[in-house]
Amino acid sequence: MSVPNDDNTSHSQLSSQFFGDLLDSIIVDVASECHRIARLGLDCNLEEGEEEIRLSAQARVRVADPSNSSEVNSKYVVDIFGQTHPAVANEIFECMNCRRSIVAGRFAPHLEKCMGKGRKARLKATRSSSAAQNRYSRGSPISTYSPYSHSTSVNQLSNGAPGVSGEEYAEGAFEDP
Amino acid sequence: MRRASSINRPPTPDAEVDQEQELSLQEIINIKLIESGEKERLKELLRERLIECGWRDEMKAQCRAFTRKRGRNNVTVDDLVDVITPKGRASVPDSVKAELLQRIRSFLVSAAL
Repeated sequence: MSVPNDDNTSHSQLSSQFFGDLLDSIIVDVASECHRIARLGLDCNLEEGEEEIRLSAQARVRVADPSNSSEVNSKYVVDIFGQTHPAVANEIFECMNCRRSIVAGRFAPHLEKCMGKGRKARLKATRSSSAAQNRYSRGSPISTYSPYSHSTSVNQLSNGAPGVSGEEYAEGAFEDP
Repeated sequence: MRRASSINRPPTPDAEVDQEQELSLQEIINIKLIESGEKERLKELLRERLIECGWRDEMKAQCRAFTRKRGRNNVTVDDLVDVITPKGRASVPDSVKAELLQRIRSFLVSAAL
């Protein structure tokens, strides 16, 4: 290609100029990104980094310490706030169904028996009508419908399993607001 | 500079024609580069090459060092640009620079300028 000298030098000049522009715009991109990282603290600053390394090393020592191992002493493991918790929650309060005093940690199994899933619980619901009326007068919504003068009719309806239909009705009624 | 003198010209039809020609060669090329999409391609190519050769990491390290000295909330984008620009321009590998210059030049030729 025979290109006159003038074009060559001007081409070179222009090319260099444009290259410089491209490079400048990339430099600004890099600077802007580093600025963002710096301001948001995303980059681990050296001083902070050392601090974090020290803290994580301390934490690791604490975890590795056998006296804190949860396998050995589950009752006395300390959580991040420095509190210890017993294995079974030990607060006591009253069951709203049967008015017994229940330990919090045993509340769920108690409710299973007391309210619902077992055969004995269903028998309980229809048989102990006095307890049910007590529940009703206390305003508990759970068994509002079961003593609702249906307990007697339920007994008449099905001899086989009075508790079942009664309980089902109660649960069904309860679910429909 | 030439544009400044044209502002003082009387608004005759001739002046309008002259003003069109006042667009410098560089500006014309710039417009052609942008319109054809070549400028974007060139920028991506340059960015890729600079990442591959570690230039970008070097620049980021410089920024981090500067930020550590100044304190990270006392840094502006302009500061960082000022920090990187001289070193950045100087440390582009020759091969990368040559490749880009070659591409730009062939664009100039193909655009018949």
